[in-house]
Amino acid sequence: MPKQSPKINRQTALVSQNCSISYGEKVVVENVSFEIPRGSVAALIGPNGSGKTTLIKAILGLIPMTAGRILIFGAPIDEMRDRIGYVPQRLEFDPDFPITVAEYMDLARHKHCPKSRIAEMLDEVGLPTDIVGRQLGKLSGGQLQRVLIAQALLNEPWLLILDEPASGIDVVGEEAFFKIIQHLKVEHRTTILMVSHELAVVSKLVDNVICLNRQMLCFGAPEAALTEETITRVFGEHSRVYSHTKHKNKHTKNSDDHKSKHN
Amino acid sequence: MELFEMFSYPFMQRAFLAGLMLAALLSFLGIFVTVRKMSFFGDGIAHSTLAGLAIALLAGISPLPTALIWAALVALLIWWLEQRTHLPSDTLIGIFFTSSMSLGVILMSFKAGYQPELVSFLFGSILAIRTPDLIYIYTVGVVILIWLASNLKRLIYLSLSRDQAAVSGVAVSRKTLLLYIGLALATVLGVKMLGIILVSALLILPAAASRLITKTFRGHIIASVILAEIMVAVGLIVSFIYDLPSGATVVLIGAVMFSLAAILKPLRA
Repeated sequence: MPKQSPKINRQTALVSQNCSISYGEKVVVENVSFEIPRGSVAALIGPNGSGKTTLIKAILGLIPMTAGRILIFGAPIDEMRDRIGYVPQRLEFDPDFPITVAEYMDLARHKHCPKSRIAEMLDEVGLPTDIVGRQLGKLSGGQLQRVLIAQALLNEPWLLILDEPASGIDVVGEEAFFKIIQHLKVEHRTTILMVSHELAVVSKLVDNVICLNRQMLCFGAPEAALTEETITRVFGEHSRVYSHTKHKNKHTKNSDDHKSKHN
Repeated sequence: MELFEMFSYPFMQRAFLAGLMLAALLSFLGIFVTVRKMSFFGDGIAHSTLAGLAIALLAGISPLPTALIWAALVALLIWWLEQRTHLPSDTLIGIFFTSSMSLGVILMSFKAGYQPELVSFLFGSILAIRTPDLIYIYTVGVVILIWLASNLKRLIYLSLSRDQAAVSGVAVSRKTLLLYIGLALATVLGVKMLGIILVSALLILPAAASRLITKTFRGHIIASVILAEIMVAVGLIVSFIYDLPSGATVVLIGAVMFSLAAILKPLRA
């Protein structure tokens, strides 16, 4: 098993304290503070260019912060890497690269994790185990996303971070994805932080929502935090469409979200 | 008959021994070069070694170790500038390619007369490989191959997905530096065989051909190395039989193999 810091705080999964990030002179994230309790699901929402991916990268220790600090289960990221799973928005490489599902998943497998967990995790996310021999680039968008989640779960992470997990998959794939998130939350008490544009889904699925538009504009349970005024402050006037689509049936809602996502 | 005759010559035996090691080394590294879209790296390092060679010739010291040290230095500077400036590696390689080669040309202008060492580095001279060269090729080659094999998973992970590798605990920056240095050293060793102008062919052709015909990563590595060995062995034999320049023949055999792979590649559904 990986070494664990004596500072570990098992109740609070993620703490951001006055976190600011700049690229040169440009401040991208300013003075963001929040706490995510263990075993909860949180969504980071905001329009394009609001600093969501930058904040996620800082949480993952991929870019430095200009001020503030981030603690994961009470410890700095470098001490908790073994306990974090990360699902990127998309593959960074050419999907035609010759690599099978099993080989790709094995890249993330730590020494303490038995190889048999690859099949177990694929099963966990609802994929047939014979998918292991298939070439990664030949999978559908939904299958690929589930493989990415299965890979991130391989080392039994305490904190799972997903960057826009519902992008690039169809409505059926989205439904399956949200079932997986529910399963992880209920069965494994995995803490989940995801970047999302899907306001309608966020309001149903998550325990906390963090609204970001360079500064943090809201934090809390969606029903309290996602007021019409807050949504307008975060996304601008055009986001009023959300209020009108909120109570439509599921399929209409997904369709509207897709439209607004691409506008 | 000609084959038996060919292997009776010590220079041909040394050429084969050097060629087989360099084929394995460069084709293995070529997988990282192609996946990272750094095909220019081999060319850049090879051309920048001209300055190292010029320094060695002017100082009257052995060219191969000097070129190895120079190439490692260039790789280190490319890596350092990548971290510092965030410029794409291709841009930095282009800067070192041209500036280091220009330095080499100016330094060479101080040395009057015909320079056989320089010509052999420009176009390669696998048939002129001496035992000390062979010792360098095997010592440096084995060290790099052992390092590659023992870090394979981490190296491919950081080449495919830098962010995921970093989150997973791979020391991305340090491994990238060592990969660049390994590539630079292997390229300089390959220059002895194929020359500054052609060496990148052994980095790119086998890996590119193998990528077209394989479906697994393990298969990709194995096919790349086998194709490179065939490319070198067939190239040397054909060049001996038909009295052709060895480096250019090896590269053309590789190009034929790549063309066959492109034809054989299963059509996409």
